[in-house]
Amino acid sequence: MTAALRRGGRALALAIVGAVALGGCSALQPGPLWEQQPPPIRTGPVVPAERVHRTRLENGLAVLVLEDHRLPRLALGVVLRHGIASEAPGSEGVAVYTAELLQRGAGARDALAFALAVDDLGAALGASAEWDSISIGAAGLSRDETALLELVADAVLRPRFDAGEAARVRAEQLAGLEQAKDDPQSLVGRALARTLYPAHRYGLPGDGTPESVARLDAAAARAFHAAHFVPSDAIFYAVGDVSKDEVVASARRAFGGWRGGSPPPDPPPAPTPTPPERRIVIVDRPDLGQSQLAVGHEGMRRAEPDREAALLLDDVLGGGGFSSRLMARLRADAGLTYSVGSGFAMRREGGPFTVATFTRVEETRRVVDLVLAELERAKQEPPTPAELADAKTRSAGGFVLGLETSQSLASALVTLDVQGLPPDSLDTYRSRILAVTPEQVAAAAQQRLHPERAAIVVVGPASALRPQLESLGSVEVVSP
Amino acid sequence: MPLPAGFTGATRLPTFSRSSPRWCAPHRGRRVRRRLGAVAAALLLLVLSARPAAALDDPAARVRTHVLANGMTVLTLADPSTPAVSLQIWVKAGSRDETRYTGIAHLFEHMMFKGSTNLAAERHAQILETRGARVNAFTTNDVTAYFDDLPPDALPLAIDLEAERFANLDVSEKTLASERQVVLEERRLRTEDDPQGRMIEQLFALTFLAHPYRWPVIGWRSDVEAVDVAACRAFFDTYYAPNNLLMVIVGDFDEADALRRVEAGFGPLAPAPVIPRNPTQEPEQRGERRARVRFDVRAPIIAAAWHAPKAGDPDVPALDVLGELLSSGRSSRLYQRLVQRDALALAAAGGAWQLADAGLFYAYAAVRPDASADAAERALFDEIERMRSAEVGADELAKAKKQIEVGIVSGLTTAHGLASRFASETITYGRIRGLEERLAELEAVTAADVRRVASRYLAPEGRNVVRIERNGVMPAPGSAEARAR
Repeated sequence: MTAALRRGGRALALAIVGAVALGGCSALQPGPLWEQQPPPIRTGPVVPAERVHRTRLENGLAVLVLEDHRLPRLALGVVLRHGIASEAPGSEGVAVYTAELLQRGAGARDALAFALAVDDLGAALGASAEWDSISIGAAGLSRDETALLELVADAVLRPRFDAGEAARVRAEQLAGLEQAKDDPQSLVGRALARTLYPAHRYGLPGDGTPESVARLDAAAARAFHAAHFVPSDAIFYAVGDVSKDEVVASARRAFGGWRGGSPPPDPPPAPTPTPPERRIVIVDRPDLGQSQLAVGHEGMRRAEPDREAALLLDDVLGGGGFSSRLMARLRADAGLTYSVGSGFAMRREGGPFTVATFTRVEETRRVVDLVLAELERAKQEPPTPAELADAKTRSAGGFVLGLETSQSLASALVTLDVQGLPPDSLDTYRSRILAVTPEQVAAAAQQRLHPERAAIVVVGPASALRPQLESLGSVEVVSP
Repeated sequence: MPLPAGFTGATRLPTFSRSSPRWCAPHRGRRVRRRLGAVAAALLLLVLSARPAAALDDPAARVRTHVLANGMTVLTLADPSTPAVSLQIWVKAGSRDETRYTGIAHLFEHMMFKGSTNLAAERHAQILETRGARVNAFTTNDVTAYFDDLPPDALPLAIDLEAERFANLDVSEKTLASERQVVLEERRLRTEDDPQGRMIEQLFALTFLAHPYRWPVIGWRSDVEAVDVAACRAFFDTYYAPNNLLMVIVGDFDEADALRRVEAGFGPLAPAPVIPRNPTQEPEQRGERRARVRFDVRAPIIAAAWHAPKAGDPDVPALDVLGELLSSGRSSRLYQRLVQRDALALAAAGGAWQLADAGLFYAYAAVRPDASADAAERALFDEIERMRSAEVGADELAKAKKQIEVGIVSGLTTAHGLASRFASETITYGRIRGLEERLAELEAVTAADVRRVASRYLAPEGRNVVRIERNGVMPAPGSAEARAR
């Protein structure tokens, strides 16, 4: 029935012999498979408890180990439970800046020596700052566990913050802010944040502003590091071909002497809902033939009781790939865009709710109107039982595929810790999704969607956009 | 080596993520790699061992090949230890097969989601998404690929749905009219309003004077606007014949049951007597070519491409090592020179790239807004010249080989990744290359080989250079800018 593939040969196998006629199949099945109902959602644990080990060192460092011995490979790192949102006013961009500098010389190695130590292992090492966390991690072969752990520990505990590197990284970050203006999608995201959060850290780009970044130097990074890198606010994780006892002992050797004060402050609460009047902002890029647009308003904190209902609502509205209402209306029916999506940014404090899409400049108003109409319809005609059932199987099925690898599972477990959610949240996810009622989704639509006061931000040629949008409200035109 | 996203041709739906790394984003180190799937385990063990032949349990060697009576090829690799299945169908038709209308291969890829005799437009993707599947497709210069990444119990459904559209596709005036607009929005997004897209389009048009690779995968705007239903149907009849298809199934599934379903659904399709191919080959390049594209950018882009051997040539492994030395990690030559030392670029990289019918070597720099584009170009080509004029040291060569070895292994983390490699290698090389063979080729590369291929293929007179910048005017002979070059 089969033949092995051989060098230089192709397609030398035999024809399939299992003589099965079409009629044979249809006798067993009453109709096409696609007319049958999907199987019911399976619930139950997804985390293999026997392979997960948690402990805490004396200095407060949480330790999470996920053993998977099928492969001689591992990832390990440290995640801090506070990030960009906890930056002090005036120092915007310092978290991103510090994370970059961690990789520009640490311990006994300068920037080049550190890079060579990583590359010689064929490994990957990275550090990044997010709104609610800072991560430093490495991945490579498990035989290199000791070397990888040493590199990560050096980056976390012993960054050099050399003055030359500090100046270099500052110039790179400033150049990156300027380069972002070449990207219409970056521009629309930044303008929407500025519009929704005029007085909160969420309103400025994660990597800061030209004014704030210009003030950053080695001393600023050192001070941020001293205040934010404290063991009681950190999680050490290791996933893959590791022995839990050995890796905990190694972590204790590497991080047991880590001392630090109290964790940095939580970010201030997200501001009160955006004012009731409509705000329209055009970022003028006269050269573009396509407008990038976002419609948004305040969203929700990650830890809210109606989280599952809001996720399912969003799935039906714009989060659910080719199946969403917005995709059907804008793309499939009208050919107005190539893609449209929506989502709640689930941060510790309330991040934005956003619908984002793009269209040819001359159709911008029509698309804005259709987006606003779909938001309103979601309130007037909330998801039907059939739409909700599809959203549930879509979410539950995609959830399981998203945990295909041990590394993605470990990452999800660390995120739960960072966000202060119950540690069994993955195991309960599908049953929580299953339990959501149409009434709860309808209530979430009423509470969470506010098309009447959503901000509208468009990147494109202002001369063509302003006349289209003026009748919606007062229009502010800004330059990139 | 993985290609920059912009080089792999157009996909049907972008990932809706604001944080996905873009090609010219500042270099932040290679992304942390995803964990290996179980099917790649043996492969990694091989890397770690001294590679005695007895230790070889290469997944490529466990792939089974089946050929239906109508000529359709099916590759299978059943592995019960992974919780997913990837079903992929690769059509051996890409933009290089287009006649009359450029972009029709990609536009047609979109039409495959617009309904068939028994299913309305969009239902194919929606039904599978309702099972949690990821459904999409992409088109390149050489192929059009459709993939369904599935929970295992959805595979029978997916096979039946694929058979339905390959057997009973319905192309109507109405769906073509709306989908044409979708594709034009995709073209604006990825090419017309995107400096990297503009660069790639110009680079191909410059590098290929005659070969069909010279036109963009997504097609020229006027052609996309003009494609009609009859042309779509003709393209389908010509290139979507079963003897021009390659199906791959990898993951946790019942092989016998899956093959019965494939036979039932695809067996009745009639093969095409002949699959026509454009005959044009690229003539020898005699001298450097340059183009400038005027665009409203703060960060200019400089890119260059050279003609190089295509897949299967013995010089390819050395070219791969050369690309790794230039580009991989923060210790790489181009990062150290253009990003770190001279502070001229936000990112810089280069590498070999094998199309089915030609090979290229490319290099680029995303120039910092506060730097001189001329200086960045000089530094970029100076680093290329260094590779041509001197051999790399033993440590640097060993580092690059280790990075490639780990990369070969890490590229196979999921059912989707394995299936994609099996398909692309089968189409590009005519077979799946075994791990032993790939590693042996790599190990045999010497410093002298690297210098030799750099010297032979990356000569200044063979360059094709594109610059994306605000001023699209070539400097006048004798001007200050021209003298500075």
